Amino acid sequence: MCKNHHNPVHCIIPPYMLSKLMESGNKKIADLAINSNFRSFRFHNDRSFFQKSSLHEKTILGVNIKASGKSILQMEVYDCKQKTDLAGAVLLWDSKTNQKISSVAGKNVIKGGKASWDFYNQLFGRNSIDNKGLLIRQYIHYDKGLDNAYWDGRRMIYGDGDGLVFTSFTSDIDIIGHELTHGVTEHESNLDYEDQAGAMNESFSDIFGIMIKQRYNNQDVKKANWLIGEKVMKGANYALRSMKAPGTGYKNHPELGDDPQPATMDKYVKLPNTQSGDWGGVHINSGIPNFAFYISAFNMGGYSWEKAGRIWYAVLTDSNLAQDAKFADVKKLTISHAEKIFGLNSPEVKAVKQGWDAAKV
Amino acid sequence: MKIKLVRTGGFIPITKAAETDVNLTDQEITRLLNTIESGPVIQRIKDGNYYELTIGGRSIPVDLEKVPEEYKKLFSKLKSDLKIVK
Repeated sequence: MCKNHHNPVHCIIPPYMLSKLMESGNKKIADLAINSNFRSFRFHNDRSFFQKSSLHEKTILGVNIKASGKSILQMEVYDCKQKTDLAGAVLLWDSKTNQKISSVAGKNVIKGGKASWDFYNQLFGRNSIDNKGLLIRQYIHYDKGLDNAYWDGRRMIYGDGDGLVFTSFTSDIDIIGHELTHGVTEHESNLDYEDQAGAMNESFSDIFGIMIKQRYNNQDVKKANWLIGEKVMKGANYALRSMKAPGTGYKNHPELGDDPQPATMDKYVKLPNTQSGDWGGVHINSGIPNFAFYISAFNMGGYSWEKAGRIWYAVLTDSNLAQDAKFADVKKLTISHAEKIFGLNSPEVKAVKQGWDAAKV
Repeated sequence: MKIKLVRTGGFIPITKAAETDVNLTDQEITRLLNTIESGPVIQRIKDGNYYELTIGGRSIPVDLEKVPEEYKKLFSKLKSDLKIVK
């Protein structure tokens, strides 16, 4: 018997002998031989197969992807000095020289940018935002007291906050991960930024943002509080959003009132597809797929990025994810990818279904 | 005459507004609005903010990067006066 196997047929058996065993009248021996033959076939063909397969295919098959030696973080941080002229922003830091800086906001975005890049590279072998080594450019101190952060299609931009309701939008890693993920989405499915597809676009950013933060803080699904932007929003009881309980990020806030996010599809908020209507409520209805992810990840247990993260990344990078995808389309894809990665009747598939059921999608 | 700036959008969608008095002729208003009006297709910046200006009975989406030099002080004041609309 082989040293590492409890099954005699899993040893190295000459092919002619294996063929005989596969035809054995003893069903148990025949089954084991077929299994062994399959393993042998795979052993000889895996290398050539995986050499030809895409990153996406490898992710689906759960191959442990090692970061390519060519993937090197390239990042620059610019100081806008509270102006809105991006072209006139001053280079504060770059990854080539890695100079020491004293700026708190600068240190925040370097930390968050690195954590985000590491997350995508170390877990999924992704080489930056576009998977081609794109230089990550982050702009801090944009405008005077701007209470916002955004991805403008080429770079991440952060305001300092108004100092009353919000502090600097660089204060939370999940926000930095959120903005960077908008870039990833743009280079993958490029989900429309309106209605359900837009809410899904926002949700992917929240989901990967929260996983980046949890991984940086080494928090499992139980230890994590699942709050987005808890430092950015002033006041111990407030956060920008809650993935665990959408609609409870803030309650009775003196300026903002109540968090408007729904957790379930029956509470979907219909808003006009206009700029003042948040393009159909993309930042509001994202609470629904956020909640589905939270329940799925929580029920899988452990670290969110290890199982649920693999499934959602496979969907995010799936060419079958349409630009105008609805929540139900993403639900189907997450179940399908969970089945491919973990098996048809696996606990992970069950957890994904439980997540979407809880969100009533 | 009142001029009102409204900001919408953002990481969490909140509406902020500010208003002040100005003394502009109809021609000046038309020229200002024509200069700062956003293009016909508004780029959907992820988590971006959007501004709308109301003056002389007209409301239009505007691009504050296009504000002419002589109006920069006015718009700077409007932006700093923006308050959350509850």
